[in-house]
Amino acid sequence: MSDDIHALSGAYAVDALDDSERAQFEQHLAGCAACQAEVASLAAAATTLSSLSDTAPPPGLRAKVLQGITTVRPLPPLVSGDGEPGDISTREPALSAPPQPAAAGPETAPDELAARRGGRHAETRRGSPLRWLVAAATAAILAIGGFAVWRSTDSGSTTPPTVAEQVRSAPDAKTSSDVALPGGGTATVVRSPSLGKAVVITSDLPSAPAGKVYQLWLQDPSGHFTSAGLMDASGDQTVVLQGDAADAQAAGITIEPAGGSEQPTSNPIAFFSFA
Amino acid sequence: MSRFSVVPPGDTSPEGPARIDLERLLRRSAAGDEDAFAELYDAVSSRLYGMVRRVVRDPAQSEEVAQEVFLDIWRQSARFDPARGSALSWMLTIAHRKAVDRVRSAEASRQRDDRYGTSNQDVTHDSTSEAVVGRLDAERVHRALETLTGAQRQALELAYLSGYTHTEVATMLDLPLGTAKTRIRDGLIRLRDTLGVTS
Repeated sequence: MSDDIHALSGAYAVDALDDSERAQFEQHLAGCAACQAEVASLAAAATTLSSLSDTAPPPGLRAKVLQGITTVRPLPPLVSGDGEPGDISTREPALSAPPQPAAAGPETAPDELAARRGGRHAETRRGSPLRWLVAAATAAILAIGGFAVWRSTDSGSTTPPTVAEQVRSAPDAKTSSDVALPGGGTATVVRSPSLGKAVVITSDLPSAPAGKVYQLWLQDPSGHFTSAGLMDASGDQTVVLQGDAADAQAAGITIEPAGGSEQPTSNPIAFFSFA
Repeated sequence: MSRFSVVPPGDTSPEGPARIDLERLLRRSAAGDEDAFAELYDAVSSRLYGMVRRVVRDPAQSEEVAQEVFLDIWRQSARFDPARGSALSWMLTIAHRKAVDRVRSAEASRQRDDRYGTSNQDVTHDSTSEAVVGRLDAERVHRALETLTGAQRQALELAYLSGYTHTEVATMLDLPLGTAKTRIRDGLIRLRDTLGVTS
Protein backbone atom coordinates (compact mmCIF):
# COMPACT_ATOMS: atom_id res chain seq x y z
CA MET A 1 0.00 0.00 0.00
CA SER A 2 1.02 3.56 -0.30
CA ASP A 3 3.22 5.34 2.16
CA ASP A 4 0.30 7.62 2.77
CA ILE A 5 -1.79 5.03 4.48
CA HIS A 6 1.14 3.69 6.50
CA ALA A 7 1.68 7.20 7.78
CA LEU A 8 -1.73 7.12 9.42
CA SER A 9 -0.54 4.59 12.00
CA GLY A 10 0.24 7.20 14.63
CA ALA A 11 -2.99 9.09 14.18
CA TYR A 12 -4.90 5.81 14.30
CA ALA A 13 -3.15 4.81 17.50
CA VAL A 14 -4.42 7.93 19.22
CA ASP A 15 -7.92 7.80 17.71
CA ALA A 16 -7.14 10.87 15.61
CA LEU A 17 -8.67 9.65 12.37
CA ASP A 18 -12.17 10.56 11.28
CA ASP A 19 -14.62 7.72 10.78
CA SER A 20 -13.91 7.31 7.11
CA GLU A 21 -10.13 7.31 7.51
CA ARG A 22 -10.44 4.99 10.47
CA ALA A 23 -12.41 2.45 8.47
CA GLN A 24 -10.03 2.71 5.57
CA PHE A 25 -6.99 2.28 7.78
CA GLU A 26 -8.52 -0.67 9.60
CA GLN A 27 -9.04 -2.39 6.29
CA HIS A 28 -5.42 -1.75 5.46
CA LEU A 29 -4.32 -2.79 8.92
CA ALA A 30 -5.91 -6.19 8.53
CA GLY A 31 -3.42 -7.08 5.84
CA CYS A 32 -0.33 -5.13 6.89
CA ALA A 33 1.82 -6.78 9.52
CA ALA A 34 4.17 -3.81 9.66
CA CYS A 35 1.34 -1.45 10.51
CA GLN A 36 -0.09 -3.86 13.07
CA ALA A 37 3.18 -3.93 14.93
CA GLU A 38 3.64 -0.21 14.67
CA VAL A 39 0.11 0.65 15.75
CA ALA A 40 0.44 -1.71 18.68
CA SER A 41 3.59 -0.11 19.97
CA LEU A 42 2.42 3.44 19.34
CA ALA A 43 -0.94 2.89 20.98
CA ALA A 44 0.87 1.47 23.97
CA ALA A 45 3.04 4.53 24.18
CA ALA A 46 -0.04 6.74 23.96
CA THR A 47 -1.72 4.86 26.79
CA THR A 48 1.00 5.99 29.16
CA LEU A 49 -0.22 9.56 28.70
CA SER A 50 -3.25 8.69 30.80
CA SER A 51 -0.97 8.67 33.82
CA LEU A 52 -0.86 12.45 33.49
CA SER A 53 -4.52 12.87 34.24
CA ASP A 54 -5.47 10.66 37.19
CA THR A 55 -8.60 12.24 38.58
CA ALA A 56 -10.99 10.96 41.19
CA PRO A 57 -14.40 10.44 39.62
CA PRO A 58 -17.49 12.10 41.07
CA PRO A 59 -18.54 10.23 44.19
CA GLY A 60 -21.92 9.29 42.74
CA LEU A 61 -20.45 7.45 39.76
CA ARG A 62 -19.55 4.33 41.68
CA ALA A 63 -23.11 3.72 42.80
CA LYS A 64 -24.46 4.38 39.31
CA VAL A 65 -22.01 1.95 37.77
CA LEU A 66 -22.65 -0.74 40.34
CA GLN A 67 -26.38 -0.26 39.98
CA GLY A 68 -26.04 -0.29 36.21
CA ILE A 69 -24.25 -3.60 35.99
CA THR A 70 -27.08 -5.39 37.78
CA THR A 71 -29.15 -4.81 34.66
CA VAL A 72 -26.53 -5.96 32.16
CA ARG A 73 -25.54 -9.54 31.46
CA PRO A 74 -21.87 -9.98 30.62
CA LEU A 75 -21.35 -11.35 27.14
CA PRO A 76 -20.14 -14.91 26.81
CA PRO A 77 -16.49 -15.39 25.92
CA LEU A 78 -15.58 -15.79 22.28
CA VAL A 79 -14.89 -19.41 21.63
CA SER A 80 -11.56 -19.93 19.94
CA GLY A 81 -11.95 -20.42 16.22
CA ASP A 82 -15.43 -18.98 16.30
CA GLY A 83 -16.21 -16.49 13.63
CA GLU A 84 -17.72 -13.24 14.66
CA PRO A 85 -21.45 -12.92 14.28
CA GLY A 86 -22.16 -12.84 10.60
CA ASP A 87 -23.93 -9.54 10.52
CA ILE A 88 -20.96 -7.54 11.72
CA SER A 89 -19.11 -7.63 8.45
CA THR A 90 -22.08 -6.15 6.71
CA ARG A 91 -22.33 -3.19 9.02
CA GLU A 92 -20.74 0.19 8.55
CA PRO A 93 -17.15 0.05 7.41
CA ALA A 94 -15.97 1.53 10.67
CA LEU A 95 -17.28 -1.57 12.31
CA SER A 96 -16.33 -4.05 9.69
CA ALA A 97 -12.64 -4.51 10.30
CA PRO A 98 -11.86 -8.18 10.38
CA PRO A 99 -12.00 -9.29 13.98
CA GLN A 100 -8.54 -10.75 13.98
CA PRO A 101 -5.87 -9.04 11.92
CA ALA A 102 -3.86 -12.21 12.23
CA ALA A 103 -6.27 -13.98 9.93
CA ALA A 104 -5.80 -11.54 7.13
CA GLY A 105 -2.99 -12.99 5.12
CA PRO A 106 -0.06 -15.31 4.98
CA GLU A 107 2.38 -12.71 6.27
CA THR A 108 0.31 -12.26 9.39
CA ALA A 109 -0.20 -15.88 10.25
CA PRO A 110 -1.37 -16.36 13.83
CA ASP A 111 1.75 -18.26 14.70
CA GLU A 112 3.92 -15.37 13.72
CA LEU A 113 1.88 -12.91 15.70
CA ALA A 114 1.88 -15.21 18.66
CA ALA A 115 5.62 -15.51 18.39
CA ARG A 116 5.96 -11.78 18.20
CA ARG A 117 3.78 -11.33 21.24
CA GLY A 118 5.69 -14.00 23.06
CA GLY A 119 8.94 -12.38 22.15
CA ARG A 120 7.78 -9.04 23.38
CA HIS A 121 6.69 -10.45 26.69
CA ALA A 122 9.87 -12.40 27.13
CA GLU A 123 11.97 -9.41 26.33
CA THR A 124 10.16 -7.07 28.64
CA ARG A 125 10.53 -9.38 31.59
CA ARG A 126 14.08 -8.11 31.67
CA GLY A 127 13.01 -4.53 31.33
CA SER A 128 11.89 -1.82 33.66
CA PRO A 129 8.41 -1.81 35.14
CA LEU A 130 7.31 0.96 32.87
CA ARG A 131 8.74 -0.88 29.95
CA TRP A 132 6.62 -3.81 30.96
CA LEU A 133 3.48 -1.75 31.22
CA VAL A 134 4.04 -0.26 27.84
CA ALA A 135 4.80 -3.57 26.27
CA ALA A 136 1.77 -5.17 27.83
CA ALA A 137 -0.33 -2.40 26.42
CA THR A 138 1.36 -2.96 23.10
CA ALA A 139 0.31 -6.54 22.99
CA ALA A 140 -3.20 -5.56 23.95
CA ILE A 141 -3.58 -3.42 20.93
CA LEU A 142 -2.88 -6.38 18.71
CA ALA A 143 -6.49 -7.12 19.54
CA ILE A 144 -7.38 -3.97 17.68
CA GLY A 145 -9.76 -5.77 15.39
CA GLY A 146 -11.36 -7.17 18.49
CA PHE A 147 -11.94 -3.66 19.65
CA ALA A 148 -13.63 -2.86 16.40
CA VAL A 149 -15.95 -5.75 16.96
CA TRP A 150 -16.39 -4.69 20.53
CA ARG A 151 -17.52 -1.32 19.31
CA SER A 152 -19.95 -2.85 16.93
CA THR A 153 -21.63 -4.88 19.63
CA ASP A 154 -21.86 -1.70 21.60
CA SER A 155 -24.40 -0.23 19.27
CA GLY A 156 -27.44 -1.65 20.99
CA SER A 157 -30.94 -0.64 20.12
CA THR A 158 -30.27 3.07 19.91
CA THR A 159 -28.00 2.74 16.89
CA PRO A 160 -28.69 5.37 14.28
CA PRO A 161 -29.10 4.01 10.76
CA THR A 162 -25.85 2.80 9.30
CA VAL A 163 -24.32 4.60 6.36
CA ALA A 164 -25.43 1.73 4.16
CA GLU A 165 -29.00 2.09 5.37
CA GLN A 166 -28.90 5.83 4.86
CA VAL A 167 -27.61 5.47 1.34
CA ARG A 168 -30.18 2.87 0.42
CA SER A 169 -33.05 4.94 1.77
CA ALA A 170 -31.82 8.29 0.42
CA PRO A 171 -34.34 10.03 -1.85
CA ASP A 172 -31.78 10.28 -4.64
CA ALA A 173 -30.45 6.75 -4.27
CA LYS A 174 -29.93 5.02 -7.60
CA THR A 175 -29.41 1.31 -7.84
CA SER A 176 -27.41 -0.11 -10.72
CA SER A 177 -28.58 -3.27 -12.37
CA ASP A 178 -27.18 -6.52 -11.03
CA VAL A 179 -23.88 -7.58 -12.52
CA ALA A 180 -23.21 -11.30 -12.76
CA LEU A 181 -19.70 -12.02 -11.48
CA PRO A 182 -17.36 -14.30 -13.41
CA GLY A 183 -16.89 -16.62 -10.45
CA GLY A 184 -20.58 -16.73 -9.61
CA GLY A 185 -22.84 -14.49 -7.61
CA THR A 186 -23.97 -10.96 -8.38
CA ALA A 187 -23.13 -7.44 -7.31
CA THR A 188 -24.94 -4.17 -7.48
CA VAL A 189 -24.14 -0.64 -6.38
CA VAL A 190 -26.45 1.89 -4.74
CA ARG A 191 -25.27 5.48 -4.81
CA SER A 192 -26.63 8.63 -3.26
CA PRO A 193 -25.02 11.75 -4.76
CA SER A 194 -26.47 13.93 -1.97
CA LEU A 195 -24.82 11.77 0.69
CA GLY A 196 -21.71 11.38 -1.43
CA LYS A 197 -21.66 7.68 -0.64
CA ALA A 198 -22.05 4.45 -2.54
CA VAL A 199 -22.71 0.95 -1.28
CA VAL A 200 -21.89 -2.30 -2.99
CA ILE A 201 -24.23 -5.18 -2.32
CA THR A 202 -23.18 -8.68 -3.23
CA SER A 203 -25.12 -11.88 -3.35
CA ASP A 204 -23.45 -15.31 -3.27
CA LEU A 205 -20.06 -13.70 -3.75
CA PRO A 206 -17.48 -16.50 -3.89
CA SER A 207 -14.44 -16.22 -1.62
CA ALA A 208 -11.52 -14.43 -3.20
CA PRO A 209 -8.77 -16.77 -4.42
CA ALA A 210 -6.15 -17.65 -1.81
CA GLY A 211 -3.87 -14.71 -1.10
CA LYS A 212 -6.22 -12.31 -2.88
CA VAL A 213 -8.87 -9.87 -1.80
CA TYR A 214 -11.66 -8.04 -3.51
CA GLN A 215 -10.86 -4.36 -3.83
CA LEU A 216 -13.42 -1.66 -4.44
CA TRP A 217 -12.72 1.39 -6.55
CA LEU A 218 -14.25 4.72 -7.36
CA GLN A 219 -13.42 6.37 -10.65
CA ASP A 220 -13.32 10.15 -10.69
CA PRO A 221 -14.43 12.24 -13.67
CA SER A 222 -10.86 12.31 -15.00
CA GLY A 223 -10.89 8.53 -15.17
CA HIS A 224 -8.55 8.04 -12.21
CA PHE A 225 -9.29 5.13 -9.88
CA THR A 226 -9.10 5.56 -6.12
CA SER A 227 -9.27 2.63 -3.76
CA ALA A 228 -12.60 2.50 -1.95
CA GLY A 229 -11.55 -0.25 0.42
CA LEU A 230 -11.08 -3.99 0.56
CA MET A 231 -13.69 -6.67 0.87
CA ASP A 232 -12.34 -9.96 2.10
CA ALA A 233 -15.62 -11.61 2.96
CA SER A 234 -17.85 -13.64 0.71
CA GLY A 235 -21.54 -14.37 0.34
CA ASP A 236 -24.12 -11.65 0.84
CA GLN A 237 -22.31 -8.45 1.72
CA THR A 238 -23.21 -4.81 2.04
CA VAL A 239 -20.14 -2.62 2.04
CA VAL A 240 -19.91 1.15 1.99
CA LEU A 241 -17.34 2.37 -0.51
CA GLN A 242 -14.74 4.57 1.12
CA GLY A 243 -14.25 8.02 -0.23
CA ASP A 244 -16.45 10.59 -1.86
CA ALA A 245 -18.88 9.08 -4.30
CA ALA A 246 -20.62 12.37 -5.06
CA ASP A 247 -18.58 13.15 -8.14
CA ALA A 248 -17.50 9.64 -8.99
CA GLN A 249 -18.44 8.52 -12.45
CA ALA A 250 -18.12 4.82 -11.83
CA ALA A 251 -17.32 2.13 -9.30
CA GLY A 252 -15.57 -1.17 -9.83
CA ILE A 253 -14.47 -4.35 -8.12
CA THR A 254 -11.15 -6.03 -8.86
CA ILE A 255 -9.29 -8.98 -7.42
CA GLU A 256 -5.99 -7.83 -5.91
CA PRO A 257 -3.17 -9.34 -3.88
CA ALA A 258 -3.83 -9.47 -0.12
CA GLY A 259 -3.47 -6.02 1.34
CA GLY A 260 -4.82 -4.42 -1.78
CA SER A 261 -3.20 -2.38 -4.51
CA GLU A 262 -2.71 1.30 -5.06
CA GLN A 263 -4.14 1.06 -8.53
CA PRO A 264 -6.14 -1.75 -10.10
CA THR A 265 -3.81 -4.48 -11.36
CA SER A 266 -6.46 -6.48 -13.13
CA ASN A 267 -9.60 -5.92 -15.13
CA PRO A 268 -12.63 -5.36 -12.95
CA ILE A 269 -14.90 -8.31 -12.33
CA ALA A 270 -17.71 -5.79 -12.03
CA PHE A 271 -18.00 -2.23 -13.25
CA PHE A 272 -20.81 0.17 -12.50
CA SER A 273 -21.13 3.37 -14.47
CA PHE A 274 -22.98 6.18 -12.76
CA ALA A 275 -23.41 8.16 -15.97
CA MET B 1 -2.60 0.31 45.81
CA SER B 2 -0.71 0.23 42.58
CA ARG B 3 -2.47 -2.81 41.28
CA PHE B 4 -3.41 -1.07 38.07
CA SER B 5 -0.35 0.97 37.64
CA VAL B 6 3.32 0.82 37.07
CA VAL B 7 4.89 -1.14 39.84
CA PRO B 8 6.80 1.17 42.13
CA PRO B 9 10.50 1.70 41.51
CA GLY B 10 12.43 -1.04 43.20
CA ASP B 11 9.93 -3.72 42.39
CA THR B 12 11.32 -5.17 39.25
CA SER B 13 8.93 -8.05 38.98
CA PRO B 14 6.81 -7.39 35.95
CA GLU B 15 4.54 -10.26 36.84
CA GLY B 16 3.77 -8.73 40.18
CA PRO B 17 0.40 -8.92 41.85
CA ALA B 18 -0.63 -5.74 40.08
CA ARG B 19 -1.43 -7.26 36.76
CA ILE B 20 -2.73 -10.58 37.96
CA ASP B 21 -5.15 -8.84 40.24
CA LEU B 22 -6.87 -6.84 37.52
CA GLU B 23 -7.08 -9.82 35.26
CA ARG B 24 -8.57 -11.91 38.01
CA LEU B 25 -11.11 -9.21 38.75
CA LEU B 26 -12.08 -9.07 35.09
CA ARG B 27 -12.46 -12.82 34.95
CA ARG B 28 -14.66 -12.82 38.02
CA SER B 29 -16.67 -9.98 36.55
CA ALA B 30 -17.20 -12.00 33.40
CA ALA B 31 -18.77 -14.65 35.59
CA GLY B 32 -21.14 -12.06 36.99
CA ASP B 33 -19.30 -11.29 40.23
CA GLU B 34 -20.44 -7.78 41.09
CA ASP B 35 -18.16 -7.50 44.11
CA ALA B 36 -15.17 -8.16 41.89
CA PHE B 37 -16.32 -5.44 39.56
CA ALA B 38 -16.64 -3.02 42.46
CA GLU B 39 -13.02 -3.79 43.34
CA LEU B 40 -12.03 -3.28 39.74
CA TYR B 41 -13.82 0.05 39.71
CA ASP B 42 -11.96 1.19 42.81
CA ALA B 43 -8.66 0.19 41.26
CA VAL B 44 -8.96 1.91 37.91
CA SER B 45 -11.64 4.57 38.18
CA SER B 46 -9.21 7.46 38.73
CA ARG B 47 -7.12 6.50 35.74
CA LEU B 48 -10.06 5.93 33.43
CA TYR B 49 -12.17 8.83 34.60
CA GLY B 50 -9.19 11.18 34.50
CA MET B 51 -8.47 10.30 30.91
CA VAL B 52 -12.11 10.62 29.90
CA ARG B 53 -12.35 13.93 31.72
CA ARG B 54 -9.20 15.19 30.01
CA VAL B 55 -10.68 14.45 26.61
CA VAL B 56 -14.34 15.28 27.21
CA ARG B 57 -13.76 18.11 29.72
CA ASP B 58 -17.38 18.75 30.56
CA PRO B 59 -17.83 17.11 33.97
CA ALA B 60 -21.40 15.94 33.44
CA GLN B 61 -20.61 14.43 30.05
CA SER B 62 -17.41 12.92 31.37
CA GLU B 63 -19.38 11.17 34.05
CA GLU B 64 -21.84 9.83 31.50
CA VAL B 65 -19.06 8.57 29.28
CA ALA B 66 -17.22 6.99 32.20
CA GLN B 67 -20.42 5.25 33.24
CA GLU B 68 -20.87 3.88 29.72
CA VAL B 69 -17.24 2.79 29.68
CA PHE B 70 -17.60 0.83 32.90
CA LEU B 71 -20.84 -0.79 31.84
CA ASP B 72 -19.18 -1.88 28.63
CA ILE B 73 -16.15 -3.19 30.45
CA TRP B 74 -18.53 -5.24 32.56
CA ARG B 75 -20.37 -6.49 29.51
CA GLN B 76 -17.23 -7.20 27.52
CA SER B 77 -15.17 -8.57 30.39
CA ALA B 78 -15.14 -12.10 29.00
CA ARG B 79 -13.71 -10.78 25.75
CA PHE B 80 -10.55 -9.52 27.40
CA ASP B 81 -7.67 -11.77 26.42
CA PRO B 82 -4.71 -11.58 28.82
CA ALA B 83 -2.49 -13.16 26.20
CA ARG B 84 -2.83 -9.95 24.25
CA GLY B 85 -1.78 -7.58 26.97
CA SER B 86 -2.68 -5.88 30.17
CA ALA B 87 -6.15 -5.38 31.47
CA LEU B 88 -5.46 -1.73 32.15
CA SER B 89 -4.48 -0.95 28.59
CA TRP B 90 -7.52 -2.82 27.30
CA MET B 91 -9.78 -0.72 29.47
CA LEU B 92 -7.98 2.51 28.62
CA THR B 93 -8.26 1.83 24.92
CA ILE B 94 -12.00 1.34 25.27
CA ALA B 95 -12.31 4.49 27.35
CA HIS B 96 -10.25 6.67 25.01
CA ARG B 97 -12.17 5.65 21.94
CA LYS B 98 -15.46 6.27 23.68
CA ALA B 99 -14.35 9.65 25.00
CA VAL B 100 -13.18 10.71 21.56
CA ASP B 101 -16.40 9.52 19.98
CA ARG B 102 -18.33 11.59 22.50
CA VAL B 103 -16.51 14.85 21.91
CA ARG B 104 -16.80 14.42 18.18
CA SER B 105 -20.53 13.79 18.24
CA ALA B 106 -21.03 16.58 20.74
CA GLU B 107 -19.06 18.81 18.40
CA ALA B 108 -21.75 18.50 15.80
CA SER B 109 -24.28 20.30 17.92
CA ARG B 110 -22.12 22.45 20.12
CA GLN B 111 -18.64 23.73 19.50
CA ARG B 112 -16.39 23.25 22.41
CA ASP B 113 -15.63 26.71 23.71
CA ASP B 114 -12.42 25.54 25.17
CA ARG B 115 -10.34 25.70 22.05
CA TYR B 116 -6.66 25.15 21.87
CA GLY B 117 -4.71 28.00 23.37
CA THR B 118 -7.38 28.95 25.83
CA SER B 119 -7.41 25.63 27.56
CA ASN B 120 -6.80 25.73 31.22
CA GLN B 121 -7.15 22.42 32.89
CA ASP B 122 -8.73 22.59 36.27
CA VAL B 123 -8.72 18.99 37.27
CA THR B 124 -8.57 17.94 40.85
CA HIS B 125 -6.09 15.22 41.56
CA ASP B 126 -7.22 12.82 44.17
CA SER B 127 -5.16 12.32 47.24
CA THR B 128 -5.22 8.60 47.69
CA SER B 129 -2.15 6.47 47.63
CA GLU B 130 -3.09 5.47 44.11
CA ALA B 131 -2.48 9.02 43.06
CA VAL B 132 0.99 8.90 44.53
CA VAL B 133 1.86 6.03 42.29
CA GLY B 134 0.14 7.81 39.46
CA ARG B 135 2.42 10.79 39.96
CA LEU B 136 5.48 8.59 39.81
CA ASP B 137 4.25 7.34 36.46
CA ALA B 138 3.47 10.83 35.41
CA GLU B 139 6.98 12.02 36.16
CA ARG B 140 8.46 9.38 33.90
CA VAL B 141 6.03 10.18 31.17
CA HIS B 142 6.70 13.88 31.58
CA ARG B 143 10.41 13.25 31.24
CA ALA B 144 9.82 11.18 28.15
CA LEU B 145 7.63 13.89 26.69
CA GLU B 146 10.46 16.34 27.13
CA THR B 147 12.47 14.42 24.57
CA LEU B 148 9.91 15.30 21.93
CA THR B 149 10.20 18.46 19.91
CA GLY B 150 7.74 21.12 20.93
CA ALA B 151 5.90 20.66 17.67
CA GLN B 152 5.60 16.90 18.11
CA ARG B 153 4.43 17.25 21.65
CA GLN B 154 1.87 19.85 20.75
CA ALA B 155 0.39 17.73 17.97
CA LEU B 156 0.35 14.61 20.13
CA GLU B 157 -1.31 16.34 23.04
CA LEU B 158 -3.98 17.87 20.86
CA ALA B 159 -4.68 14.47 19.35
CA TYR B 160 -4.55 12.12 22.32
CA LEU B 161 -5.35 14.36 25.26
CA SER B 162 -7.82 16.62 23.53
CA GLY B 163 -9.28 14.19 21.04
CA TYR B 164 -8.85 16.20 17.85
CA THR B 165 -8.38 14.51 14.50
CA HIS B 166 -5.07 14.98 12.75
CA THR B 167 -6.84 17.12 10.18
CA GLU B 168 -8.18 19.37 12.92
CA VAL B 169 -4.76 19.49 14.53
CA ALA B 170 -3.22 20.58 11.24
CA THR B 171 -5.79 23.33 10.89
CA MET B 172 -5.38 24.51 14.47
CA LEU B 173 -1.60 24.67 14.14
CA ASP B 174 -1.80 26.11 10.65
CA LEU B 175 0.13 23.21 9.19
CA PRO B 176 -0.13 21.73 5.74
CA LEU B 177 -2.43 18.70 5.71
CA GLY B 178 -0.42 15.60 6.35
CA THR B 179 2.08 17.32 8.56
CA ALA B 180 0.14 16.80 11.76
CA LYS B 181 -0.18 13.07 11.29
CA THR B 182 3.55 12.88 10.74
CA ARG B 183 4.25 14.85 13.91
CA ILE B 184 1.85 12.67 15.90
CA ARG B 185 3.54 9.57 14.60
CA ASP B 186 7.07 10.87 15.10
CA GLY B 187 6.16 12.02 18.58
CA LEU B 188 4.72 8.64 19.49
CA ILE B 189 7.79 6.90 18.14
CA ARG B 190 10.02 9.12 20.26
CA LEU B 191 7.83 8.54 23.30
CA ARG B 192 7.77 4.81 22.71
CA ASP B 193 11.52 4.60 22.26
CA THR B 194 12.27 6.80 25.23
CA LEU B 195 10.01 4.70 27.42
CA GLY B 196 11.85 1.66 26.17
CA VAL B 197 9.29 -0.10 24.07
CA THR B 198 10.89 -2.16 21.36
CA SER B 199 8.80 -3.52 18.60
